[in-house]
Amino acid sequence: MIDSMTHRKLSKTAQRPSPTRPRHGATNATWCTRILSTRMLSISALMLAMASTTTWASDVKSQQTQAADIARNMANNTDTCYVEGVSDRLNCGFVTVPENPNKPDGKQIQVHYVVLPAVKNVNHEEALLAIAGGPGQSAIDNATGFDAMLSKVRQQRDILLIDQRGTGRSNLLTCDEGAQSPLSFDDDNADTLAETQKCLAKIDADVTQYGSLNAIKDFEAVRQHLGYKKLHVYGISYGTRMAQLYMRLYPAHLATVTLDGIVPMQQSVLEIGASIDRGFDLLFKDCQETTACHAQFPELKAEFDQVAASLAKAPVMENVYDPVTGEKTMLTMTRGKFYGSIRMALYQANVRALVPHAIHQAAKHNFQPILGLYSLTIDNAGMAMGMHASVVCGEDMHRITPAMREQAQHSFMGKTMLEGLEATCEVWKVPAVDDSFSEPISSDIPTLLLSGEIDPATPPSWGELAMEKLTNAKHFVAPYATHGVAYQSCANNLIADLVRSGSVKDLDGECLKKDVRRSFYLNASSVEPLDATGTKTITTDDNASTGAKE
Amino acid sequence: MNKIMAMVRKELIDAARDKRSVMAGLYYAIGTPLIMCGLFMVLIGQLTSPDDLKITITNPDKAPDLVRFLSNKGINSGEAKDSELKAIELIISTDYAAQMNQGKGAEITIVADNSNEKLQNSIRRLEKQLQSYSTEMGSLRLIARGIDPRVMQPLKVNVHDQATSDSKGGMILGIAIFTMIYSVFISGMNLAIDTSAGERERNSLALLLSHPLTTRQLVLSKIIAVSLFALLGLVLILLVSKIAYTFVPWQELGFSVNITTEFMALMLVVGIPVALMAACLQLFVSFMAKTFKEAQSYLTMVLFVPLALSMAASYNIAPDMLQWLPVSGQQQALMDFIKGKDLPMLQLLVSTLGTLAIAVLLAFGMERSLKSEKVIFGL
Repeated sequence: MIDSMTHRKLSKTAQRPSPTRPRHGATNATWCTRILSTRMLSISALMLAMASTTTWASDVKSQQTQAADIARNMANNTDTCYVEGVSDRLNCGFVTVPENPNKPDGKQIQVHYVVLPAVKNVNHEEALLAIAGGPGQSAIDNATGFDAMLSKVRQQRDILLIDQRGTGRSNLLTCDEGAQSPLSFDDDNADTLAETQKCLAKIDADVTQYGSLNAIKDFEAVRQHLGYKKLHVYGISYGTRMAQLYMRLYPAHLATVTLDGIVPMQQSVLEIGASIDRGFDLLFKDCQETTACHAQFPELKAEFDQVAASLAKAPVMENVYDPVTGEKTMLTMTRGKFYGSIRMALYQANVRALVPHAIHQAAKHNFQPILGLYSLTIDNAGMAMGMHASVVCGEDMHRITPAMREQAQHSFMGKTMLEGLEATCEVWKVPAVDDSFSEPISSDIPTLLLSGEIDPATPPSWGELAMEKLTNAKHFVAPYATHGVAYQSCANNLIADLVRSGSVKDLDGECLKKDVRRSFYLNASSVEPLDATGTKTITTDDNASTGAKE
Repeated sequence: MNKIMAMVRKELIDAARDKRSVMAGLYYAIGTPLIMCGLFMVLIGQLTSPDDLKITITNPDKAPDLVRFLSNKGINSGEAKDSELKAIELIISTDYAAQMNQGKGAEITIVADNSNEKLQNSIRRLEKQLQSYSTEMGSLRLIARGIDPRVMQPLKVNVHDQATSDSKGGMILGIAIFTMIYSVFISGMNLAIDTSAGERERNSLALLLSHPLTTRQLVLSKIIAVSLFALLGLVLILLVSKIAYTFVPWQELGFSVNITTEFMALMLVVGIPVALMAACLQLFVSFMAKTFKEAQSYLTMVLFVPLALSMAASYNIAPDMLQWLPVSGQQQALMDFIKGKDLPMLQLLVSTLGTLAIAVLLAFGMERSLKSEKVIFGL
């Protein structure tokens, strides 16, 4: 159901920012509106998402986490538009599809897309479709990151970004409400059930219709609307599930597929708890094996356990300065926030480098660094939590086995996430998908699979699982990469090669082995040990002893 | 009319006989796009910073994290004898670690010659990466102090670039269009000299005029023959350009150069009046000259005027005035077309009419002068 006739007329409404998406106004009001999603994030959001959305002060690229404005060029009455962070003229539009495919005459929703046009288009019948993670991230809001990462592909082919139904501009399902500050909020004692009910009451949509299977039909409709004969697909994180569904349902329209940070069909994403714990353990191991880090923080694991145990007894309440406004405010540091901040820091190699210092300081009752890390997670990476729940409740919840439940009891993250989502799904009431949904993908489409060894969300073993019935695929594990290998290594060049050649045969993952690690922060200012030369061993021992005394 | 056709055929047969001198004009049409593309390919190779940039890093052990960061961005420390080593040195201060530990700015120095065009891109790339490392660390320092790094970004500047990937190649296309217009002038030049000053030197001009033929018919047939050659040159350069330009990796500079069929058709249509004017101008000057050689040297000087106009248009000098003048007006219209803008119809019309007016004036001048014995016998 593609409605291109009403396209221009309706596009006027499309340019209005959705009222449910608060901007970064850096005001207290903004902080307050985010509280529910924040709580949901720190407790239960899967965050199968690109964490590379965190941006830096005065970075050239603008903040991707903000809702990207599509300013339609109404003067020329064309589809030309601009997306935040990309200065080029882009082509925008949408298709209109029924919310419920079984009721084609029922409520209609718009699925918006943006095409980043190729610099020199060598093949007008092909494009690369980049699928965002989450579930719940907007692909269009992440255009800057996709554009930079896929710049080589874009030299010769269009890049197609689609806001999956329920995200971004495509009938966003989000939960922004509540009045409490995310800093003072006590998430360990929250009433998820009540909050979720409040959220659902405000959503004007049939939340059972926002799963992956309906969304993949929308993607196919966009492809037909734009007239591309073949698509190259890049999926990151949860986006790999969408990519795999595309392989299963419309294989004839795919040229190549890249799965980055893989969620295999056989895997319930709720097992992410174990992956998170693995990510934490790898961090402690990394620090221990790095001379400077071990010397500075010899008891890192013990310090972490100590802080977690003490926060479990009672959260730390103290007066701090708000990370954005600089005003005095109350911080309630709970175990959930502590875990959540560190967990999110592990998504990015450069933020991960700060974690040992942050843990060490927390053990010394200085929560400033943790507060800094926590403030990065407050905007929730732009996830649409309503859509997130629709996907997870329909596709993953029913797959939990007693064994998984038992295992989750041993892990704080696993347990809290499971409990949080169970409460959410109880309200959301999404019918479970068929068992056939969880079957491995069997395909001979050239497929590149990418896993990061230190990924805190989708470990390399998940990638192996996805390989089960792929006959024309290669799986590379980047030893130093976290989540989203293509953003932190040469893997984006591999994708460009794959798209150009249409075959995985000549792909060589050797360049992924390049050491791209970032040194750990030894204090709040420096990553370089004071004695980098000559007398290394002797002086680091000194440091170690002083470190221990602290 | 038949007489004119017969004369045109005679001129073309004449031209075909002296293959070498006439073909010399056409060689230009074939050769220029090829040479230009070759030059651009070399230039692009030099201007774009190599994927793997090798520079000299002094004291890399003082800042291993920075060195690894740069290496991850393709900037590596190279060996002194390495041929790909760029003459850029990055000196890391021996106090780097100490300064960094105190939260101060750690010193690094870039030593390079900024006037060297071949290095500019690489230097800028190095500076950009150092800047992004510095920004990133600054942000993490703020986080470590419990401050959201976004407060360091008080201005959020959005750029809405109106250019398309085609219009970004406008400068290159300006030069391409210039070579095409130039080919209209060059291709017919030898024939123009040969058929006028040459004919006179061979003493066949007087013979021709003794036939039952008006001077107007003679002049027209010569103009047609020369114009045909000029257009042949234009067709050739368009065909060769269409093929050759696709081989240059323009996308590496972030734009595309596309010689479309529509552009070729427009160029051909626009080229006809220009070819007529070129033929008239060249014939007129050649007739005025006393000898073949003199004609050659005069023409080189006279041709400078239209070419200067075209050149000025392609470098965007005084565009407001140039868009109304012959040659430069057509050139600007063509450039607008290729940039995807609306064709400036009025300007194109005015400059085309101007071109034709000059052609007609020159043709009349020729007709009159050929009635004088002084001109016919080169006295």
